[in-house]
Amino acid sequence: MQPDLERELIRKCKSGDARFYEPLVRAYEPAGLRLGLAMMGNEEDAQDALQEAFIKTYDTLHRFDLRRPFGPWFFQILRNQCRDMLRTRKAKSNVEALDEKLEQRPADGERGPERTRQRNAARDTLWRGLERIGDEHREILVLKELEGFRYGEIAQILEIPEGTVASRLYHARHALREALLGMSVEYP
Amino acid sequence: MRPRVSSEDLMRYLDGEMPPDERAVVDAELGASTELQRELAIFRALKTDFQALSFHPAEYRESVWDRVNERVTRPIGWILVAAGAAVWMSYGAYVFATSPTDPWEKLASGAVAIGILMLLASVIWDRYREWQHDPYRDVQR
Repeated sequence: MQPDLERELIRKCKSGDARFYEPLVRAYEPAGLRLGLAMMGNEEDAQDALQEAFIKTYDTLHRFDLRRPFGPWFFQILRNQCRDMLRTRKAKSNVEALDEKLEQRPADGERGPERTRQRNAARDTLWRGLERIGDEHREILVLKELEGFRYGEIAQILEIPEGTVASRLYHARHALREALLGMSVEYP
Repeated sequence: MRPRVSSEDLMRYLDGEMPPDERAVVDAELGASTELQRELAIFRALKTDFQALSFHPAEYRESVWDRVNERVTRPIGWILVAAGAAVWMSYGAYVFATSPTDPWEKLASGAVAIGILMLLASVIWDRYREWQHDPYRDVQR
């Protein structure tokens, strides 16, 4: 979504018109669901966390600084919501269930049963590797690799100093690599 | 010998978060160290494979917007209903109190109205307390 349009929508929402919140919800829903899935481990809990995060975001919009990007701010709320739910509801982090509920979309030009089978196998292996690393490692990898956030944005979302992001990413990638090695997968 | 590139710098290099002058230093170190090249190649392969994880929930789920919208707009609805009811009840009470009806009729009618309101309030209060302790309150039906 264009930053100008996003700002205008937030301005309207701040003035109390909830109708203008819908485009924001729909724009951030897919990425939010991905982060929710990675943190909660199952789709139902991810959807609950996402819903609560959108409501909390709306309720606190009056505190939002329009000069800052909306995405990192929302993901910070979503991440805290996931953590709260994991703590209070002790949501079962069941990445095996995640495996069953995810399906792969082959990129254009890569269709074909053999290619799809290979990509599915690689995807399954990676997901199983992710299952073996901690929540903190998984969330930073999702923010960086799937959502493509910059270090500064990740620092804002995770509420850590920007200088710590590289270190956290190194440990997360290293942990993932170790997990894959434990599954007899050699990289590269 | 281990090159003079820290793990953090390697990550910043890999993720394109490094200014050109620092990149040039890392490039030079990479040219001189096969160990560093291998380490970078491993992380690059992991990164590429991870980014290829294009996925979405297999079962189509409706957007959370409807539920969010319901929760976001519901308080406004309740405020309007409560405010409207309060105004009507106040007006009704005023009309009733200032009407030329027999005081005994007023007393009896008032007792009935107040009794109904008290019963309603107690039922709502009971339901609210039940809801607070309902373990299934978050379950979508």
